[in-house]
Amino acid sequence: MLPLEHLQNIIAQSVLGNPQFGLSSLVSAGRADPCRRLRIYENNTRASLTATLMAVFPVVVRMVDERFFRYAASEFIRQHPPGEPRLVRYGSDFPRFLGTFEGLAEMPFVAETARLEWAIAEALDAASLPALNLAALDGEASSSTPELMLQPSLRLVMSHWPVLSIWSAHQNGGVPDQADVWQRKAERIALWRHGDNVRFARLTSAQFSFRHSLKKGLGLERAVSRALTHEPMFDVLGALVSLFGEGLVTGIGFDHPQ
Amino acid sequence: MPNKLPTLPIPQAAGIGLRSPHNAEMLSRRPSAGWLEVHAENYMGGSAAVAALENLRETYPLSVHGVGLSLGSASGVDRDHLERMRKVCVRFEPDLVSEHLAWSGADGAYLNDLLPLRYDEAALAIVANNIKLVQDTLKRRILIENLSAYIEFSGSTMTEAEFLAELVKRTGCGLLLDVNNVYVSAHNLGFDAAAFIEVLPAEAIGEIHLAGHAVNDVGDDTVLIDDHGSRVPSAVWSLYAGAIEKFGPRPTLIEWDTDVPVLDVLLGEAMWADMLAASIAFRKRQDSLPVSAPKQSAPGIVVPFERDAPRGQMPVLAAFDAIKPARLAADRDARRIRHAAA
Repeated sequence: MLPLEHLQNIIAQSVLGNPQFGLSSLVSAGRADPCRRLRIYENNTRASLTATLMAVFPVVVRMVDERFFRYAASEFIRQHPPGEPRLVRYGSDFPRFLGTFEGLAEMPFVAETARLEWAIAEALDAASLPALNLAALDGEASSSTPELMLQPSLRLVMSHWPVLSIWSAHQNGGVPDQADVWQRKAERIALWRHGDNVRFARLTSAQFSFRHSLKKGLGLERAVSRALTHEPMFDVLGALVSLFGEGLVTGIGFDHPQ
Repeated sequence: MPNKLPTLPIPQAAGIGLRSPHNAEMLSRRPSAGWLEVHAENYMGGSAAVAALENLRETYPLSVHGVGLSLGSASGVDRDHLERMRKVCVRFEPDLVSEHLAWSGADGAYLNDLLPLRYDEAALAIVANNIKLVQDTLKRRILIENLSAYIEFSGSTMTEAEFLAELVKRTGCGLLLDVNNVYVSAHNLGFDAAAFIEVLPAEAIGEIHLAGHAVNDVGDDTVLIDDHGSRVPSAVWSLYAGAIEKFGPRPTLIEWDTDVPVLDVLLGEAMWADMLAASIAFRKRQDSLPVSAPKQSAPGIVVPFERDAPRGQMPVLAAFDAIKPARLAADRDARRIRHAAA
């Protein structure tokens, strides 16, 4: 008799849609055909994981139409099943998968939009901490430059395609005319969770670099100097005001070594 | 930040599975529900649902139900996932914690479904070890739920019910009796649902699950699919009535996962469960009055599976009907004895 671990590996492969030989001697189902019954598990896995992906990538579903999406999803599930039980973590590789998927070569913006939708999903699963206001920067007459801690849900997405415009055009049942003829145009996007929703902001390259450096924990001084390389006239005060105004600063540390 | 959550024991009454579409209404309305159960895996991040649950936990007793620990995995329990489970328990301080007698992954892949085991001595040793590890890590007893199955593995040397009873002996775990799962498996695999429940050690049963299932025809094979997508069917209510007739009342959960209806439908099903339990308890009290000599209790009539049974609005009513004839018969016997004594 097969050891249990070996048996489970064979059945798992079958459930993932990779045909296995000799299953009928391993399983039974009363008077029913056991292999047909095994397909119920295969269907359950595919259907529930497809539903998970459809919930995370609703705009992509509408861009490529549902039948194509289901086909792509079932291939993705077979090749890249979840590695753990938290389904909110499932789908991080799906944008890259779509980027190389046959049939989407002419529509690179689909995978890029998927990348934005994945960032949204991540933000929705992240904590929302109490925000500080600008006054928190006052009163510390320290010579060191502060480090700003940002909302854990903040995601920064840079794309060569106008993914936020594409995403917005598909909201509230919108069906954009130029569905598959989007023009290449770079967009830099900040997004973060606010209650049950996600908020967005379009950024210049300097603003993007500023927030990106802060998010990486490089400290305010280096964030400013990096922004200045993009834009010598970078408005530091304006960038700080909008960062606090959007509720993105959750902590200030004054002990940054640099 | 130390939690200051109130200690709220789960009552011997009906509760509902908390589903995210109902969060806003639960928070604003605070309807009367005995207790809430959540899937542990949905509360391992930092989403708005987590904040909502922290809030609801102030008011409602809580049960945390794991679906991903894969206690039946021959390769052992995923330690990272167990640690996440531990954190959920620390954060929400649930009164009950449960998992399934199942495996849901192998070779690093998670299948998002619960598969049955081969019920033999080797599997028993593996699952008992996994349960002990989980109980030691969580520092508490957990309840193990019986499975709904579409297949069974060749080479089993015992039934699932015997396997569960043995796990209770070896690990001190409790049991979560999913009555719908018993019914679904019994139909799909051809065993006697009531006999399955008979085998379970009554005192170990700490919770009961109720849910609906779908009926699927594949060729000449009629399969019941455990989709938790409808009202509890009359046959499941009857099996439930038989179970609490035998064990007494237990915390009972209404589960609904697909096509989730408005909150009031769930609360309504929970109310029926409470009424059914109350009517059985009432009858038991009557039976224990000194005048009624025969100590016989209703056997918990199982409504047979009927393919074309009309799907009425309130399937639960059939369960009330089913327990009535037994009661009348008991009354008749009691009267006859009283007459004889007179």
